[in-house]
Amino acid sequence: MSKQPTRANGASTKRLAEDGGASTLSKTLHSLSLQQGPRARSLADPSSDICPVCKSSRYLNPNMKFRVNPECYHKMCESCVDRIFSHGPAPCPIAGCARTLRRNKFREQTFEDLKIEREVDIRKRVMSAMTKQEADFETLRDYNDYLEQVEEITWNLILKVDVELTESRLRRWEEHQKAELNLAPSRREPESLPTDHPTLKKGVVQRKAPSASSGSMLDTSANKDDKDTGFTFRGLKKRVAPPKEAPFDPFDGWEITPQYFVQQDDYEVDWYQTFKKDPAHLVAMWDVRDYASRTLREAFGGFGIFIEDEINARAIPSMNAGIGTEQAAVAAVMDVNMEDVF
Amino acid sequence: MASTSVVLSPRPNPPGARPGPTANKARGLALLNNNHKVVGSPAPMPASTPGHGGLDLAEQMNDEVRQQFVSGAKLGEGTYAIVTAGHYRHDPSKLVAIKKIKFNAEFKDGIAPDAIREIKFLSELSHPNIIKLHAVFSTKEQNLSLVLEHLPLGDLDGLWRNKSITYGGADIKAWANMMCQGIWFCHENYVLHRDIKGSNVLIAADGTLKLADFGLARSFADPGKKMTTLVITRYYRPPELFYGCSYYGGTADMWSIGCVIAELTQRQFFLPANTDMEELALICDTFGTPTEESWPGVSLLPFYVSPGEHFGAELKGKGRSAAKMAKPMSWWRAKFPLLGEDGLDLMRGMLTMDPQKRFTARQALEHKYWTNLPRPTKKQNLPKEGGGELKVGEDLKRKGGETPQAATGRADKVARKLDFGSM
Repeated sequence: MSKQPTRANGASTKRLAEDGGASTLSKTLHSLSLQQGPRARSLADPSSDICPVCKSSRYLNPNMKFRVNPECYHKMCESCVDRIFSHGPAPCPIAGCARTLRRNKFREQTFEDLKIEREVDIRKRVMSAMTKQEADFETLRDYNDYLEQVEEITWNLILKVDVELTESRLRRWEEHQKAELNLAPSRREPESLPTDHPTLKKGVVQRKAPSASSGSMLDTSANKDDKDTGFTFRGLKKRVAPPKEAPFDPFDGWEITPQYFVQQDDYEVDWYQTFKKDPAHLVAMWDVRDYASRTLREAFGGFGIFIEDEINARAIPSMNAGIGTEQAAVAAVMDVNMEDVF
Repeated sequence: MASTSVVLSPRPNPPGARPGPTANKARGLALLNNNHKVVGSPAPMPASTPGHGGLDLAEQMNDEVRQQFVSGAKLGEGTYAIVTAGHYRHDPSKLVAIKKIKFNAEFKDGIAPDAIREIKFLSELSHPNIIKLHAVFSTKEQNLSLVLEHLPLGDLDGLWRNKSITYGGADIKAWANMMCQGIWFCHENYVLHRDIKGSNVLIAADGTLKLADFGLARSFADPGKKMTTLVITRYYRPPELFYGCSYYGGTADMWSIGCVIAELTQRQFFLPANTDMEELALICDTFGTPTEESWPGVSLLPFYVSPGEHFGAELKGKGRSAAKMAKPMSWWRAKFPLLGEDGLDLMRGMLTMDPQKRFTARQALEHKYWTNLPRPTKKQNLPKEGGGELKVGEDLKRKGGETPQAATGRADKVARKLDFGSM
């Protein structure tokens, strides 16, 4: 209450100054303040225009841009970032922070409120690790429990409760997911083994390592299920690897093999020998063997076809008069017989 | 019959579950009109009773087939045929394309040979990559109508022309494989297509490619029988036909397939020329002039002129020959980056001057290109905008051997001079 009148007073004195034809200096000052006005209002916090490190303000340097590092979310101007971090990692210049920051991690902030900026980052990180969907769970309840647990992890990170533990569990969960996806459990095991000796580059030692720690391997594998994955979720279905695709068959399963005759490589007949050697026929791949197999097939292709049966079978309406899509869709399955080409 | 379990003779063994032998046979004789609505009793079968308003048996049967179809909007009309969309009368969701062949003054007493060829070979061939012929019937004016499979998505020619879509190496591989399968099946059944080109390869609704237009097809020739060399649209015609070789085999079609693959990759015509001479010059430019070493027996071909004989006279003294060199491998790599090394090897195998060294359809399908990475795109993921229904109408109405864009040129009629004496 006490402040209200004083501010009103100030405003009135200002107005007085305006009205009472003051000096040119005050006029220019006034116009400046008008220019400053809208911008100052748009950024709610007046301190957002001053770099906390070098104290330069946007008033003097209109092109100033602020950068933020997701390590500690302390804001500073671009020139400060360039100045401090261009020679490699350096501690944050804000008093009491002293985290080591790297220049390439600095970025423009998306949200005005840095708390929100941080929360969004954390949520992105958690969601990238927690990618289960409803279909992955036995029941809806399990899925909801999972979602609740994810939210708990998120809030733990946001409120900085058990950050270290949660982070490590999250990392292990991510690794577990990746391993499951790659289906390479054999590769994962040696890595998860506790390395009580420094890994040497010599192959001998590395190969020895699993056998040497085989005793400890038992208990690691025993508690792997509850510990190694970072998190356990009730009702989570085991990931089923998608069936492996059969190798591509360029013939699409078709083959044509004669069953009632065997074609010989050569026939001791005059005309056959003539055409086999005739250069005019040979020059463009007219092949007498094609002719031989065609005549053979035309002669014997009708074996096993019984016209009587076919006439009787005609009375049964056949189901194969498909068209367009339908036709093509079933073509590979059933509609590709053609026993009576010849 | 007791022996129904016998597997029928040279029958392709299609993938997937095989229906029982009787089901197989059901399709036997009723090949064309295979959903022939047979009246319960075999009444119409015992012949020549002139019932039904004085129609003889053939007319009755024809009517029965014709009644099954309803024709709808016209898709295209050419000098040779009219194409309409249509459907089965009993099931309007089963679409067909009806190609009505116009009465041809040249062949007053019968059916135009194109139609005969088309009907003959399409009724014999049944493969997912070959257009299906559902039925044939005639109308009152003695016009033949072919009921063909409804392929609403245009053709390969429209596909590469459509600049609004993009496709990559895996898509080309899938298309090339489907074409090769189609032509392999034709050749395996002793049918030469003789008019393979982008606009004769149609796209089904599910993305399957189908070889169409068997108007120039014929079966493999008997020994000593000459075949005409004036077949296959010029851009896709192999060199042996330009040299007048009358005895050719399936490898002539393989050249065309190679050209279509090249065309798909480059998205432009591979060897476009306005006259046959220009085309041959272009082929020699690209692949080198054929000589006895590179193509044994080429000098026997009627129209072959050896490079030294006429044109190289002034060069001869200088110890040079007029023979052109083939383009180097680097040229091919630069022109066809989408195919990769395997694909290039396959395409160059199909585009080999010497037909004896050229890949046959079987050799092409056994090539490592198909099984190497990238895996061919699945049908459902292939781009399908090949120009739509109207483009198909355009394709089906056209006679064989015509180039799609220019039907007015002087030399365009050349391919139509068929030598029917050799049929």
